[in-house]
Amino acid sequence: MDNLMIKAENISKYYRLGVLSSGTLKEDIKNWWSRKLGKQTETVVQHKNHIWALRNIHFEVSQGDVLGLIGKNGSGKSTLLKIISRITLPTGGRVRGRGRIASLLEVGTGFHSELTGRENIYLNGHIMGMKKKEIDRKFDEIVDFSGVEKFLDTPVKRYSSGMYVRLAFAVAANLDPEILIIDEVLAVGDSEFQKKCLGKMKSVSGEEGKTILFVSHNMHALRNLCNRALLLEKGQIVSSGDPENVISQYLRSGEQQFLGTDFSLKNEMPGNEYIRVQKVELIPEYDQQQQLIDIRTPLRVKFEFWYDVEEPGDLMVDVHLFNFTGEFIFDLSSGRKTYKKGLISGECLIPGHFLNDGSYYISIVFIRNATIRLFYLESCLSFDVEDYRENGSWYGKWAGIVRPDFPLLLTARDANSAR
Amino acid sequence: MEKNAGWQWEITSKQGWFRINLKEIFQYKDLIVQFVRRDLIASYQQTILGPLWVFLQPLFTTFVYFIVFSRVAKIPTDNIPPMLFYLPGSIIWTFFSDGLTSTMFTFVQNAYIFNKVYFPRLIVPLSYVLFHSFRISIQLFLFLVVYVVFAIGGKNIHPNAYMLLIPVFIFITAAFALGLGLIVSVYTAKYRDLENMMQFLLRLFMFAAPVVYPASLIPEKYKLIFWLNPLTPVIESFRSSFFSHRPIPFFYLGVSLISALLVLLLGIILFSRKEKQIMDVI
Repeated sequence: MDNLMIKAENISKYYRLGVLSSGTLKEDIKNWWSRKLGKQTETVVQHKNHIWALRNIHFEVSQGDVLGLIGKNGSGKSTLLKIISRITLPTGGRVRGRGRIASLLEVGTGFHSELTGRENIYLNGHIMGMKKKEIDRKFDEIVDFSGVEKFLDTPVKRYSSGMYVRLAFAVAANLDPEILIIDEVLAVGDSEFQKKCLGKMKSVSGEEGKTILFVSHNMHALRNLCNRALLLEKGQIVSSGDPENVISQYLRSGEQQFLGTDFSLKNEMPGNEYIRVQKVELIPEYDQQQQLIDIRTPLRVKFEFWYDVEEPGDLMVDVHLFNFTGEFIFDLSSGRKTYKKGLISGECLIPGHFLNDGSYYISIVFIRNATIRLFYLESCLSFDVEDYRENGSWYGKWAGIVRPDFPLLLTARDANSAR
Repeated sequence: MEKNAGWQWEITSKQGWFRINLKEIFQYKDLIVQFVRRDLIASYQQTILGPLWVFLQPLFTTFVYFIVFSRVAKIPTDNIPPMLFYLPGSIIWTFFSDGLTSTMFTFVQNAYIFNKVYFPRLIVPLSYVLFHSFRISIQLFLFLVVYVVFAIGGKNIHPNAYMLLIPVFIFITAAFALGLGLIVSVYTAKYRDLENMMQFLLRLFMFAAPVVYPASLIPEKYKLIFWLNPLTPVIESFRSSFFSHRPIPFFYLGVSLISALLVLLLGIILFSRKEKQIMDVI
């Protein structure tokens, strides 16, 4: 099976920041005018504001391949998928291919909350390029896969988020394209359903010979599904081939997150007249030569701020932890205490074997006299917690918000008393 | 190792001016139907009067025109009963204005879908205009009912066979609204300032068409420019076909048809050329 399905040659994508996205007529007229006058200075400024989201990307995908795309946020994975999905144009290069593409860059694109599940199956199917007859034919299969048959005639705004995702994936999974493009959509949904989805993807590529392009941060899923992988870094392919090698190279590349800022150097400390935050950092306490935060890693949060309130009163600082869907995981409070004006530092430790894998962000709030919010430093830290499992062949997402490690003991009692 | 020369699609940075894939749009016809259905269902959801609003809107507007322009401002209505005079004007105007405003926000309103999935973007404005065409059809039926009531009530009104041109009137208005909407949509996506400007221009444009006054009121020296507005012959012809108070302005109706088609063509070309570039700025 060496039929090429996609051949990408020299793809580049260039975004001009600031200039094009300014979105006001005034600036564009100004730019146009200065170009007309041949003012060189303006053009130089423009060139400073561009980024290459992708640069000279070459790759080929054969029929039946499951190609995993790996990379940090902003490495160009999504841009690449968008180009292949014909959502945005490349700046240079070309992609050629064969067969119908279905892109699942998001679950439930175009779902309308006022419409019923049944209507949304059709709407979503049509958006993905299916004809009415095809959906008619696949309808039972879709409903069956989604497991929401009881609520088919209920508007989806009454669905739970789990049901919503299940229905949406069911439509996409039954699209029957030659090439399926999937962008990190399995991050949602319950583990049972994720298992079902990954199973479906496996059977679609293996038995039906479909080609899949797959972006995920779930290394277990990547290891188990992909037969090839590409590692992108700053818009360029830095490694490709056997998934195991590519994944380990990615994991080694370490430092993937926004782990801290020293504002004192930049002279633009966030805050107001009462609070000026000078420094925030997250220090993972790695074990041995580990380079990556995983569920075992204890995380130390450190911050420093200038406190500038004269009047008597107390101060309390809370560290808020959220996951990337915005769920409030915990609110850790320093307790109320009186401080003098000056530099104050804070520190807390999020123990290992506590957070489940996923993306998190931290906000810090400064409160006076238990009620007055002096300052809220929003999402000042963000980090990803990778999964880690000693063994086990199951690669679905481990369910739950926290991932504690306290023992659960099973004891075999003798047969007589067990009865 | 070029094993298969049989590539079926190609994506490059180049985009020709005339790359309009009508065949592809036809393949997605089910999606158009689905979008229209969605808009029909969603637009009156959670309103008490529901679909009745399709009727109430033109009636209320007409009533306001009646008070303001007929009673207060005392603008003549060509000896046509004011209610009957304003109703078609307001129905056609609303069709034009709704069609234009919905299509011109195509990118802004659908960025979240356009960013996630590919389908011919033209589907969306087409479905908007079809949705409004569906509404105007119902509203014209309402006009007929009111018309018959007035006729039975002994008003001196005479219809004629040019009524059969109504689909042409709707088509011209739709083509003009869609074409203009497509052109503007490319720019509203980029320059949000235009949103505010368009609201204002549209209001101004309403008074440039014979919606609340008869064409006979226009002084001689402005006649040519006035009649070149594609909406003028449409609204006037519509009235002529129901009241026979004036001959149908065939010449200007023809001009109107041609200019609406030209605007539409220009709109489609511009839209198709820019649809993908816009995704980077939105």
